[in-house]
This record gives sequence, C-alpha cells and structure tokens, in this order.
Amino acid sequence: MSEEDESTASGALVLAEWQRLSPWAMGLMLGTAGLSLVRQHLPLLLAALAGLTLVERIGWREVGAGAALLLLLAGALCLFYYRRFRFRLDGDVLVIQKGLFEHREFKVAARHVQHIAVHQPLYLRPFNVVQWQVETLAGEASRIELPGIRRGQADALSRRLQADTPGSGRGEAPSEGLADGPDAAASPASRVRHALSPGALVLHGLTSRSIYVIAAMLSPLVRPLERWLHDHLPQLDRFAWLPDSPLVAVGLGLVAVLLALAVLAVLAAWWRFHGYELRDDGERQVQVSGLFHRQEQALSLARLQVVEWVQTGLGRLLGRGYLVCHQFGSLGGGAAESRRFLVPGLNLAEGVRLIGELWTGGDRLPPLARVSRLYRRVLWLRTLLGLGAGVAVLIWLVGPALIPPWGWALLAAVPVGLAAGVAELRWRTLGWARREAHLYLRQGLWGQRTSVFPLSHLISLAIRQSWLQRRRGLASLELQVANGRLTLPFLEEPLARALADQLLASVESATEESPTTRRRSACAARR
Amino acid sequence: MTFRNQAVDLEALPTLVSLPLSPVSPRLAPCQALLVLVRWLVVTAVVLLFPVRDETLALWQPWLAGGVVGVGLIAAALSWVEVRRRAYGLREHDLVYRRGLLVRRTQVLPLVRLQHVETLSNPVERAFGLVRLACFTAGGRGADLVLEGLPAQRAEAVKQHLLARLSGTPPEPRQTEETP
Repeated sequence: MSEEDESTASGALVLAEWQRLSPWAMGLMLGTAGLSLVRQHLPLLLAALAGLTLVERIGWREVGAGAALLLLLAGALCLFYYRRFRFRLDGDVLVIQKGLFEHREFKVAARHVQHIAVHQPLYLRPFNVVQWQVETLAGEASRIELPGIRRGQADALSRRLQADTPGSGRGEAPSEGLADGPDAAASPASRVRHALSPGALVLHGLTSRSIYVIAAMLSPLVRPLERWLHDHLPQLDRFAWLPDSPLVAVGLGLVAVLLALAVLAVLAAWWRFHGYELRDDGERQVQVSGLFHRQEQALSLARLQVVEWVQTGLGRLLGRGYLVCHQFGSLGGGAAESRRFLVPGLNLAEGVRLIGELWTGGDRLPPLARVSRLYRRVLWLRTLLGLGAGVAVLIWLVGPALIPPWGWALLAAVPVGLAAGVAELRWRTLGWARREAHLYLRQGLWGQRTSVFPLSHLISLAIRQSWLQRRRGLASLELQVANGRLTLPFLEEPLARALADQLLASVESATEESPTTRRRSACAARR
Repeated sequence: MTFRNQAVDLEALPTLVSLPLSPVSPRLAPCQALLVLVRWLVVTAVVLLFPVRDETLALWQPWLAGGVVGVGLIAAALSWVEVRRRAYGLREHDLVYRRGLLVRRTQVLPLVRLQHVETLSNPVERAFGLVRLACFTAGGRGADLVLEGLPAQRAEAVKQHLLARLSGTPPEPRQTEETP
C-alpha cells in the first residue's frame, strides 16, 4: 500500500467518527456574524440608539449591561450551535447534523457531489482553519457548508468525496494525494495549466464585468456627493484650477470617474485572483486564488457541462476574456458568475487552447454560421418599438410645443438608426457551429459569450414557431443546458428539426460515461 | 474498458416530425377557460368596486368593467382554442409536449435526464378529473416540463412508466397502449 493510500485510509478512519467544527472558527464566526448583522441593520440600530438617548432613565451603565447581556446570550447560542453541529463520513456518505432550535440532518453521497470549494479568509489563516463547501447535482441551491474545520479534515473530506465521482477513476486507483498547506489541494504530480501574470490580472480587472458592478454599487453615492460638492466647493474657493470651459470640466470629471472605476476594478481583480493558478490533476481541475481571502475550487471534468468563453466590449478591444465552467444548477445568472469556476485573464489563443484541453481538442474556434436574415429585421422592429415607446415618453415629459421642427426629425431618425445598428450587431454576433460532438453558440451585442458543450449534455429542448416563422419555413431552437437556456432563433425549419433530432439522439444514446469523459479517462490512464 | 465511438447514422435517426402526438383530454378546454374567466372576474370586480372620486371617471367605471369582461371572454375563448390543439407523446426515450396557438412550442424531455416526477391538481382540475404531471431534471429551478390535461388514470399510468424508466426496470406495455 502506498503512502497516499495509507493517508487516505487513516483520514477516512478518523472521519468515520463524529467530528466538530474548530472552536477557533466558532469564536470568529460569532464576531463576523455580529459585524454582518450590524452592517445589515445599521439604520435600525442607529435609530434604536437614538431612541435610547432620549430615555433619561437609561444611562451608559444600563447600555453597557444590556450589551454584556446580549454578548452573553450570543456566546451561549454559539456554544449550543457548536455542540449541535457535527459531521462524519458514513462510508462514502457525508452526514451533517446541525440546527439550534430545529435539528436538521443532511446526507450527501459522494456519487452526487459535483463541486467542492475551500475558502480561507485572512482571519482563519493563523489557525489553519478553512470554510469547506460542497454542492450536489441539484446545483448552487444545494450548497452545504462546514463553516470552520481544520485544513487536514477539509483535504481528507475532499479526497474521499471526490474519489467516488463518476469518471474520476479514483475509486479504483487513488492518485498521489493532496499536498499540505493552505494553497495546495492538487497532487504534487499535477501540472500548472494556467497561471495569471500581474499584467494579465490588471487587464482582467479592466475588462471584466466588475467595473459595471462597482459602478452600480457606487451609484447611490452620486447624489450625496453632488450635494456635498454643491455645499462645500464654493466655500473652498478651489475653482481656480478648474478649466474655464464647462464642457472640458465635465469631460475631465468623466475621465476622473472612469479612472477611479478602473482602479477599483483592478483592485477587485487583485483581491479575488491574486496568485491564481489552475492545476491539472487528471480528472480534477483545481484552481487557487485570492489575496487575503484564499479560495480553492475543484472541478470534476466528469461533472463539467458547459464552458463559456466571455469577452466584454472592452475585453474585445484589448483582446482579453475569461472562461466560465458551468455545472448543474448555476443560480443567479451572469451576475453570480464570479462565484463559479472562472478562469480569468486569457487572450483568445489561451482561451481556445484551454477549451480544447478541457474538451474538444481543437486549436481554434470553428467558423460560425449565421441565422436567417429575417431575424435581423425582427430585431430591428423589436428595438424600434422599445425606442419608440421611450421617445413617446420623452415627448410627453418635455411637451410637444417645446420641440423645434429639426427636433422632430432627430427624434424620428435617431431611433431608426440606433435600432438598425443594434439589430445588425446582434445578428452578426449570433452564430453557431457543430464540430464533431460539440455545439458552439455565440451571443451578444458589444460583448460576446460563446457557449461550448457536448451535444450529449443537453437537458431538454423545444422547437418554437411563431405564425411568421411558420409562413417563412423557419423555427427557433431553445436548448436547456446546465447554466440555463440558449436560443438558436430563426433557423431553416428542416435544419432546426435535424439538429434537434441529432441532439436528442446524442443525449439518449449517451451512457453514464460520455465519450468525452471516456476520452479524458483514457488520456489520464495513458499519462 | 474498450473505447467505442461509432458514427451515428443520421438518416436512421427517429424524427420529431414523424411522431404522432395524442391530444390532451378534451375536458382541459372548459377547465382552462373557467380558470381564465375566474382570473378576469377578479380583475373586473376590482375595476368595478375601486373607489373613484372623479365623477366623470365614475360614470365610465361600469363601461371599463364591461371592457374588462369582454377582454376576459376573448382570453377564455382563445385559451379554449389553444388547449384543444395541445398534444403530447411518449416515446421510448423521451417525452414530447406541444402547445401554443400563435406561437407553437414543441418541448422534448429526454427520459435519461429525468430526476423525479410529481402529479399536481387544483380543486377546479379535480372537479374535471384532470391532473398535471410535472417532470424535474437535475439542477433545475422548477419543473422542466409540465404536462397538463391528463385524466387521473392516464397521469398515473404515465407516471408509473416514467418511474419505471427512472428505476431502470422495463415498463409494462399495457401502460403505454392506453388511449386518451
């Protein structure tokens, strides 16, 4: 028996007994949960404190006693939670018992595990404690967390539960095992598939969606900032350095805002992806990243359903994008994709190489076919309707009497031109291709998302035909895959039906182990 | 294990076009029309009983309610016609459901993707002896396919057939040979 087998066996033996969370983690959880509660209910808390100051009978002594009582209560609850929370491995089933007032028991069989993630915030590092999360085929809604366990326990759990993943081949022949340390869950024999350089990290920050997310998060601050500037700027007499032209001043202000957003987006990327490494551990792909909050995610290729190559508008200009690896039940749509298995900071060649290594084996994306030109006209009409409604509201708000004759011409021409441009861009971006057993589907307007998935990974499909499509002999294909619905609109009807038949034949003839998985297993065995 | 990757004969594939579909129960049409009418009656009651202070608007209120009733009647009639065109089919490897009047949608759920099956019915459906069959797949946020308008016995037979497929045992032929 090898050293790894022995460590696996001893780890499994220890985990067969009931285990508890780390006491350090419980104390820290109390602190973080308290801070989180205060942050979430800050207005309520401030209002309550303001109310207390008005009651004369309550002084600092009473407030202190109340706080101490609350702290004591929280400590007692924490202690009860700690005593109640326990877990163990029953064969290949993880059993978790928890609950303060309502006792709950969870059972997760290894064969149903699709994703395991390990997080180590900065405050848990000195104690060598991690937060361990497991997700089943039911998706993100099924996520169960062990909020603070020792690193060794987490590694042993991950190893044991992923050993029985279909297609992993680990059940029969365990690999060399996991290295110790906060950032080394892959086996020592694993090779680094992709590492992020500082330059690539900065470019990812600039071209990722986080710049929009940060802008949306900061938007409520615009009004208070405007008020503050209005109140304070005249008194400060700082107009001397402002340019005389209002247009230049506004332009400079916009540039400053954009620069601030870009810096924040780069900082966010640095926070999340510092030290990023994607390691190939045969059937498992392990990624480790994070500046203060170290994250480690393991993806089983047997569970991989759809790979998306994503480029934002700025990303296309700078030639950068990222890959999102989807499994079953990805909740939250695009907004929550940062929580998923994301490979950042890639140029097109690297992205295509990685897609090829994960799945298809091709060194470039296939040429994509366009859908019917009628779709462009439909898009133009739909966009025009939307813009027309917006223009009507604008006219109603401004008042028709105030609009000059040239204004009417502008209001008529701009929506028509804009709708035509948007429709053309969306139609040109939309494309699809079938290469061997894989389907490629690209969608978007300025940014682009290209989904790649084996035909056999389809969940269900629908053929949709409006009366117009029936008259023109067209049909839309709606494909339900692990990360949601993909639509191939306005295909020639015979083509749509043939593609639907081929997709269904691929799904229905696929056995538990798909050809892709078999190929991966064969590659791993050869290596 | 030997690696096999044989080519699929595209000409021999079973096609969706050639699949004969069975219509849903004819009782679904009045059932759906009734449900639509009830919904629009609630809207009508709200429009009719909403306290309006403006006299001109109050004069128009019964006419507005009448208009809502008219829209409700049209919606119920359309629903009736649409439901009469609904159909479903159960093949060896998948379940097919077609619906829609202006926009026709044919949905296909491969049975290998099925995780569990549920039968549901509200009081109106029970009064008409109808049952809905909800089919769920892995990782879905809700039912991926809801087959409406099955008579209770037929729904149970289809459910048993699907459960037999889920458990890997061959379904009894009797269950698929019943007529709607």
